[in-house]
Amino acid sequence: MTVDIQEALRYLGVRGQADEDLVRQVRTVAAELEAEVRPRWVYRVMDLVWTDGVPGLGGVALAGEMAARMLGECVRGAVLVCSLGAEFDRRLLAAQARDMARAVVLDACGSAWVEAGCDAAQAELLALAPEMFPTDRFSPGYGDLPLETQGPLCALVDAQRRLGVCVTPSQMLNPVKTVTAVIGLAHRPQPARIRGCAVCAMGETCGLRKRGESCEG
Amino acid sequence: MRADFWKDGFVLLDGAMGTMLQGIDLPHGTSPELMGLSHPEVLTDIHRAYVEAGSQVVCANTFGCNGRKLAGTGQGVERVIAASIAAARAAGPMAVALDVGPLGELMEPLGSLRFEEAYGLFRQVMEAGAAAGADLIFIETMTDLYETKAALLAAKEATKLPVFVSMSFDPAGRTFTGCTVASMAATLEGLGADAIGFNCSQGPDTLAPLVGQLARHTRLPIIAKPNAGLPHPVDGHYDMDAAAFQKAMADCVEAGATLVGGCCGTTPEYIQGVRALLTTASPARRTYQPVSRVCSPTRCLDLTGVRVIGERINPTGKKRLQQALLDGDLDYVLDLAVQQEDAGADILDVNVGCPGVDEAALLPLVVKKLQAAVSLPLQLDSADPAALEAALRVYNGKPVINSVNGDPASMEAVLPLARRYGAAVVGLCLDEKGLPKTARQRLDIARRILDRALEVGIPREDVWVDCLTLTASAQPDQARETLEAVSGAHHDLGLQTVLGVSNISFGLPQRGVVNRTFLAAALARGLTLPILDPNRSEMMDTVRAFRLLSGEDAQCADYVAHMADQVPAVQSAAPAQTQLGLRQAILRGLRGEAGRLAREALSSRQPLELVEEELIPALDAVGEEYEAGRLYLPQLLSAAQAAQSVFDAVADHLSAAGQAPVRRGEVVVATVRGDIHDIGKNIAKTVMENYGYAITDLGRDVPPETVAQETERRGARLVGLSALMTTTLPAMERTVALLKALPDPPKVFVAGAVVTEDYARSIGADFYAKDAKASAQIAREVLG
Repeated sequence: MTVDIQEALRYLGVRGQADEDLVRQVRTVAAELEAEVRPRWVYRVMDLVWTDGVPGLGGVALAGEMAARMLGECVRGAVLVCSLGAEFDRRLLAAQARDMARAVVLDACGSAWVEAGCDAAQAELLALAPEMFPTDRFSPGYGDLPLETQGPLCALVDAQRRLGVCVTPSQMLNPVKTVTAVIGLAHRPQPARIRGCAVCAMGETCGLRKRGESCEG
Repeated sequence: MRADFWKDGFVLLDGAMGTMLQGIDLPHGTSPELMGLSHPEVLTDIHRAYVEAGSQVVCANTFGCNGRKLAGTGQGVERVIAASIAAARAAGPMAVALDVGPLGELMEPLGSLRFEEAYGLFRQVMEAGAAAGADLIFIETMTDLYETKAALLAAKEATKLPVFVSMSFDPAGRTFTGCTVASMAATLEGLGADAIGFNCSQGPDTLAPLVGQLARHTRLPIIAKPNAGLPHPVDGHYDMDAAAFQKAMADCVEAGATLVGGCCGTTPEYIQGVRALLTTASPARRTYQPVSRVCSPTRCLDLTGVRVIGERINPTGKKRLQQALLDGDLDYVLDLAVQQEDAGADILDVNVGCPGVDEAALLPLVVKKLQAAVSLPLQLDSADPAALEAALRVYNGKPVINSVNGDPASMEAVLPLARRYGAAVVGLCLDEKGLPKTARQRLDIARRILDRALEVGIPREDVWVDCLTLTASAQPDQARETLEAVSGAHHDLGLQTVLGVSNISFGLPQRGVVNRTFLAAALARGLTLPILDPNRSEMMDTVRAFRLLSGEDAQCADYVAHMADQVPAVQSAAPAQTQLGLRQAILRGLRGEAGRLAREALSSRQPLELVEEELIPALDAVGEEYEAGRLYLPQLLSAAQAAQSVFDAVADHLSAAGQAPVRRGEVVVATVRGDIHDIGKNIAKTVMENYGYAITDLGRDVPPETVAQETERRGARLVGLSALMTTTLPAMERTVALLKALPDPPKVFVAGAVVTEDYARSIGADFYAKDAKASAQIAREVLG
């Protein structure tokens, strides 16, 4: 498991070729992060239950068209929460007090690192269900899955006790580098559906799109 | 039941409540917190099963019964707690514990829940539990030492009940927030917990080594209430059965735990197993060696050699710091702290006393600011007991108080504070009659302070002595007396010794020579805690060399490593000095170099000229490159920080000349209420600051009213607001509306991931800043 340097550079707004100094700086910070902060995760695999056309996991309704479409062929689903924990936030605060340039690099590396954690967690849970095929991961706040689903999903995996993750009244996840996600599990291969502006509710507010880019790569 | 039944011998606690509830078919939507009201008989049955299994103490079902978690249920804390305690009592245990869990929201500085709010929420719980007749309080599953402190303080201040405290650690010995076992022990024992230990998060097998570690760090009885191993991700079952649990618990008991039970996944069957274990085991013999310690959550400092106390945060004779304190510019104070930590200080002295400053209000704010970004333990330095108490309350960890003296009035004011908040304390060897001339008289005072401290209940290892340095040029015979007193305090009284070193050389030429010689002499006589400026390498090098000579730095490893680091720094700085101009140094983001060149230039050029002709053009050039996509954010910020070192040099220059600083106008910035992500705001702040604007940073999660009040109070003409989430946009809109309703409304710009140009216009903001560079342009447009 490593920090994807290209992804971190993308979070820093780099288009095309970044200069060597910046790449070196990102590599240095990424290596420190890999050595000092480990992503932790918890997940739970549950049967998918449909109620009035709305899919649900563990009694938590996954409202909206996107979830229904994503999970259409699924029989089970996993709730995954992955976090770099308060340790990362502490380091980010300390870095901001010393060197903002390094802090933004750390922030970008942190985003890439928690994604790497999600990938590793997903691989681990898929190994427990070798006969199943996953959908793309999707999260509250993306597409039309309500942000308010955040708290109930965290409660399903006891994320506060097991990861130290809290959901604020404004539906933010705390610590900062935390991802909650749903992964549908079906008996046959699932197409990649999630990426791109077409399925995303962020619209004009997306940072990538503001810069004229897209997560479709 | 004996009033202190937990103090020696075993106490069998209970197992999980949640696990038992999962096994019962409850109506959908039943809130576990409210079961004391809705299903008291179910709770009583579970408690009774534990009592029958042998549990002497059962935890009432009050884990999440606080004002925050019950909000929206329509039920008050008092009523729910009373019902849950009664349900536990009905099962007939020896003792019922008010069970207190985390509030469910991260506290400052990582979250937005303030220490004082957390204390208030816990206090309500504690009062309700005492009123409902709980026999003791069990604070558990804590991961944040700060939240734990708030709960423990509330329990001690609101009730007279015994308080058990247990935190949740990973097998590596850290909580989720990075708290160490040693820091937990030093802090909670000092604050008056009656028993401390561990629950949840891991099985007894991996917990046993942590119990052993804790036993070496506390005198208190130790709690072990682990999970039944780890849960399976698919079926949720814990992987350790009752027999395996019992076997592994034997290791916890052998390591020193005496209050034992189970957490997630355990049932009465597990408790029966532990009961069987206790009938044959006997409590481990504990050997606790007292060690002087202070700590932050992440760093516990054992005073087993020479430790450096950084002296820089003290406004006496420092105009720049005085001004910063008067302006509430806490970033400047933080900067001093960070520099000292990075220079190798072990403890930071924090003194904010100067004319015009309300110390009791400011000291706790500074403490909060520093502990957010610095991991060193703090020495709280004030002559005002009210300021000390305010700071002691909000300090996260175990601090040291500087200082008490032999005057009975001082001892009566300060020693009880040290006792109540579990702080170490520095005793100055003077009293109401002044500073005695001889070493023997000073030691008499030290003894008096020590005796009184012991009477008050402060452990001997928490009393440190300052024998006081006098100016050698005025009283040449006094250096000897001071050294003699240091030796007596350390070798005869066996105490830690503190000494401000640099006073020795006032009025002399080449003060550094005298300072480091005196330092070496004092270290040799038994000084353990020199107070000095760690940025002075000759002083730090003397300490390093002494540690080597005294054998503390085994194999000379620290000394060699430090000296090896010094060499390349000198080599790489050398060519830069000869080649780079100031503008280039800024462009390349060389902070130290830019500051040095600026100081050189200020000997021949006017400060304003330097700013206008060198600094601003350099920043503009960087800005253009950034706009064009040839430079990225880290490089923009590096240049901005290099520019900041030029501004610092200018400010120092002007301050030394008694002139007002260069200010291009003030900008108030804040991340709006509900929003805890503030790196974007901090980026904008860094860039604007380095264009010479004075930034008042109100922080994150700031209520609209606060933004409006502060803006009006300061008369600021420009306000920047940031929001990251769609859920916090209404707060941004409300803030803009309040600002625009002020009698003399400021210009407002808004920024953040979810903010757009259209949205900015729609809520009445004057500008939308798409990035940090844009915010600096807006500042220039509005403020010039």
